[in-house]
Amino acid sequence: MAISANALPHAHADEHDHEAYLRKEHLMLDPKPRGEMNALVMESMTTTSWKFWVIAAVMAAIVAIGLFGAWGYMIANGLYLTGKNRPGYWSLFLVHTVFWIGISHAGTFVSALLRVFKAEFRRPFTRAAELMTTFALAQAGIQIFAHMGRVWLAYWMFPIPNQRLLWTNFHSPLMWDFLAINTYLLSSTMYLFLPLIPDLAMARDRSTGWRKSLYRILAMGFRGTEAEWTHLRIALNIFAFAILPVMFSVHTIVSWDFAAAMRPGWSSTIFGPYFVVGALQSGVSAVAMVVITIRYTMKNMDYFIRKEHFDALGKLMLIISMSWAYFFFNDYMVQWYGGDKWTDALLHFHEAGPAGWIWFMMLITNIAIPWLVLWNKNWRRNPVMLFTVGLLANVGMWAERFIIVPVSLEINRMPFMWGQTFKPGIEVPMFIGTVAFFILLYMLASRLIPLVPVWEVQEGQMAHSIRKYGKEPVVSVADLE
Amino acid sequence: MTDKNLLLAIFEDIDPAAHAVDALRGLGIHDEQVTVISGTPITEAMLGRKHQWSNVTRFSLGGAIIGFASGCFLAFATPNMYPIIVGGQPLVPVPPSIVVLFEMTMLVMLISTFLGVFLDSRYPSYTPKEYVPEISDGRIALLLDCPGDMEATITKAMTEAGAESVKRAEAQVI
Repeated sequence: MAISANALPHAHADEHDHEAYLRKEHLMLDPKPRGEMNALVMESMTTTSWKFWVIAAVMAAIVAIGLFGAWGYMIANGLYLTGKNRPGYWSLFLVHTVFWIGISHAGTFVSALLRVFKAEFRRPFTRAAELMTTFALAQAGIQIFAHMGRVWLAYWMFPIPNQRLLWTNFHSPLMWDFLAINTYLLSSTMYLFLPLIPDLAMARDRSTGWRKSLYRILAMGFRGTEAEWTHLRIALNIFAFAILPVMFSVHTIVSWDFAAAMRPGWSSTIFGPYFVVGALQSGVSAVAMVVITIRYTMKNMDYFIRKEHFDALGKLMLIISMSWAYFFFNDYMVQWYGGDKWTDALLHFHEAGPAGWIWFMMLITNIAIPWLVLWNKNWRRNPVMLFTVGLLANVGMWAERFIIVPVSLEINRMPFMWGQTFKPGIEVPMFIGTVAFFILLYMLASRLIPLVPVWEVQEGQMAHSIRKYGKEPVVSVADLE
Repeated sequence: MTDKNLLLAIFEDIDPAAHAVDALRGLGIHDEQVTVISGTPITEAMLGRKHQWSNVTRFSLGGAIIGFASGCFLAFATPNMYPIIVGGQPLVPVPPSIVVLFEMTMLVMLISTFLGVFLDSRYPSYTPKEYVPEISDGRIALLLDCPGDMEATITKAMTEAGAESVKRAEAQVI
């Protein structure tokens, strides 16, 4: 059993004050009886104000009209309603696909990577992050299906042969996308469900009526025997290690949709990691936004979500922003130095073309603002500032995808096709619809499943204690696995 | 299970539960006769019990092999069923095939891991079971198959070890 001990800053002259500070600061050092924590989580699920239902109804209306209504209208009238036009055949649908897949990366990153590295601050919000993966991938799937046009022929991508034994071409980047996104969707949903089982059993034990029936079915008879915990622990370890390369593969393959083409601006060997880091930039920022929203809108969440979590997420966002800047500059520098005239024309078009302000906004919101704000501990821990930085980072990452897809498609090796043909089309209300759908799914999930993995929090609290080195109280963590 | 005389001893904390496990061994109750149930994962080492067997890793490995074989079929066999040269590439190019092999291996491996938990834990199971809701409130329960003539002795030993309650376990719908 490995034990590590870390001295914490802000030691006070009075060691009791310092202990009290540590307990207030760290959820892991402030345990409550398990029954009390269960009650807090159950109350947060079952206490719903009328405002919640009003917002849910508004979201549902936006989904019905903005997403499915617009989609149906587009199917009935044709893809000319979109902003696509020659030479920009890939337009906002692809921007939004990449955007949502990027958001989805946070769940796995926060849950799996931090689990592998035993980062204890992850415990209260891993489920909120995992939900993000599944819900965001659903939105990405909607964008892909919409982009297809004739969505009822989507089964042509399935790995089944036609009557002449002609299979889909598995050596095409579009089929890699199909395999990778489906692998990621299925694995992340399973990874969401496995650690949920003990919490569903907890909810089953404390519910009546339809909730009892629902949780009884979903908990599948879980009691918490040694054998059940052993199987679960082994499976979660396998998932945590295996889902990480899947996560990296998904956005790398999405980047290859572009990088495998011999187009100026797209044909880049660094697009894989650049896209992955970009996905983490938008995803971790979105996790921070969700965690802050949960903390301030759901009952009892102030116990589980604390300033230490904002602080940790803020640091992650800062590091990822620096990584994104590094990859962006690397990609830009090599293309600029290469001197290819078409690439030069494209880079000039990015900065000084009609969408130049979007290019500069991308740099400001992805680099300047996070760096200016997140270095400061007090600002990182301020929920309004962290939420704003997260929101702006997501706007910036949307801008990055916009620059890469429709703007870059305007400049190619055939000057007679140049021109800014992009115009916002029906993708705009559909995107707003997917945002509303994402929020609506989260809202409904918050009423149905425990958003805080109580057993994981308790496990963490069992492993933490305060020891004293001389007169200095320090946090001590035992590795209980 | 209905023929057995099952006792359920409930403990508030891990230390008395560990003492109780030792006491049961002292009374000649084998580890196989005792099932530990808890609302938080408690490793076997904490209670001084032997390691639990799990087939989940075997399911994962089996899934990885099946996934790899499926990937080989999709990447290498299907192009030969209706040969079409695309983009000047060989009929079966290796680098793009690696992507298919990787994704299929991981997909089937993770599905097998997931199903492995279900099969090893025998989920779903809605038959009545010996259980009390206090367990998910953080209690630790020892469910033991108690020889009829030792019930009083075991109850006393459990109580002395610190059990909150010791009672006959009854299967109930949970």
